[in-house]
Amino acid sequence: MPLVVLAGAATGVVLSMETHASLVRFGAKSMLPALLIVSIITESGPIITGLVVSGRVAAGIGAELSAMKVTEQIDAMEASAVDPYKYLAATRILACILMLPLLTLAADFSGILFGWVANTLTQPISLQMFITEGFKHVTFHDLLPTTFKTMIFGLIIGVVSSFQGMRAHGGTEGVQRAATDSVVLSALFIIVADVFLVRLIQVFFP
Amino acid sequence: MTNNILADEMNEEKIGTVKEAKDVGPPIQLKNIFKAFGEQKVLNGLDLDVARGETLSVLGQSGTGKSVLLKLIMGLQQPDSGTIRVLGQEIVGLAREQMNDIRKRIGFLFQSAALYDSLTVEQNVAFPLERHSDISAAERKKCVRELLETVEMEKDMEKLPGELSGGMQKRVGLARALALSPEIMLYDEPTAGLDPITASEIEDLVLKLHKERKMTSIVVTHDLPGAKIISDRLALMRDGKILVAGTFQDLQKSKDEFVVKFTNRGV
Repeated sequence: MPLVVLAGAATGVVLSMETHASLVRFGAKSMLPALLIVSIITESGPIITGLVVSGRVAAGIGAELSAMKVTEQIDAMEASAVDPYKYLAATRILACILMLPLLTLAADFSGILFGWVANTLTQPISLQMFITEGFKHVTFHDLLPTTFKTMIFGLIIGVVSSFQGMRAHGGTEGVQRAATDSVVLSALFIIVADVFLVRLIQVFFP
Repeated sequence: MTNNILADEMNEEKIGTVKEAKDVGPPIQLKNIFKAFGEQKVLNGLDLDVARGETLSVLGQSGTGKSVLLKLIMGLQQPDSGTIRVLGQEIVGLAREQMNDIRKRIGFLFQSAALYDSLTVEQNVAFPLERHSDISAAERKKCVRELLETVEMEKDMEKLPGELSGGMQKRVGLARALALSPEIMLYDEPTAGLDPITASEIEDLVLKLHKERKMTSIVVTHDLPGAKIISDRLALMRDGKILVAGTFQDLQKSKDEFVVKFTNRGV
């Protein structure tokens, strides 16, 4: 959560600074709140959350499950007639799917808040006005699909890291490999999936 | 007492879930088992029968497939070919649900104990009970205490596995393996890496459990003197097969050069 909030805040500040200069150049300074909010809600918030969580959670799941695998704890679970895929993997995948949209909302909130702070430092504007102006052009069609698409990111993180952890072998080196692959593959698949999801959202929520 | 109640409950459940299995003949039967990992052939036409209530020790050099043999019986690995019957049921290619019904009737002590490192000793032992029995939390706690008393670990219930010595971990692993009152017990190197006194204590424990619970057991070990004490029969593996099986006296009578070398060096 703190990582996601921090990443969201940084994104908001950077977007605010970058777009401010561009909008001033084109004489569209008043569009900044709307541009910032739309940008954060539709793309920056979800993708930043997906990538931050893939770095933090995928590494954790990959390392934990692979350590359990190489120390025969997963075999011991099977020997106890407990399905490790249900007990260890399914629960983690479900947690990732459910948590990603909530974390995305936290990142969105933090991004908007710190975007306003950054904007206010150069051009003072009240938070209420910033929000009112910004959300004038935002509908639930902008917020819901883009927030819920992060459930797919959660699915990717959970499945990839659980798969890497459960198939680990080769002691400490195997654990390291599983953790690294979990992060790299999750991040990669999230970026690729985002391309398709953005297009799908554009088609179904024009 | 709690363990008896649990055993009755588990047996009723087993009768209900594995109706098709006929518990006639040896509880463990392996025929013509082949298993290779890549180019490395581990088991090469292995045949083995273990009689009901018998304790069989499987000996042999490192890397001859002794641990693989146990994992095949437990269904944790599949053979390349051959048949494995456990408690009257053919287990090769068996669906997970049906295999789990068989696994509930087998205890497995791993070489490394394989305790869940994020759970306490008590939670480790309670793990199979929580998932496969309907006893109340109070009964479960009592049952766990009794199991830990059996292995003399009741004072360390709150500890994490990382805080235990190798011998203590083996004891807890044994208590966990016994939780569902198994009919078959598989021990993978129960005394490996332990000092002679702790190893002897584990052997006494295995012997005591065998007498009290009349389980069918397979003990994979390198420790010939220990195997001699705890086993009814010994089997010596070589080249992926059982080279010779019988009592220690039978092994001593063998003229095979490898058997003579193994028995002379081992004692």
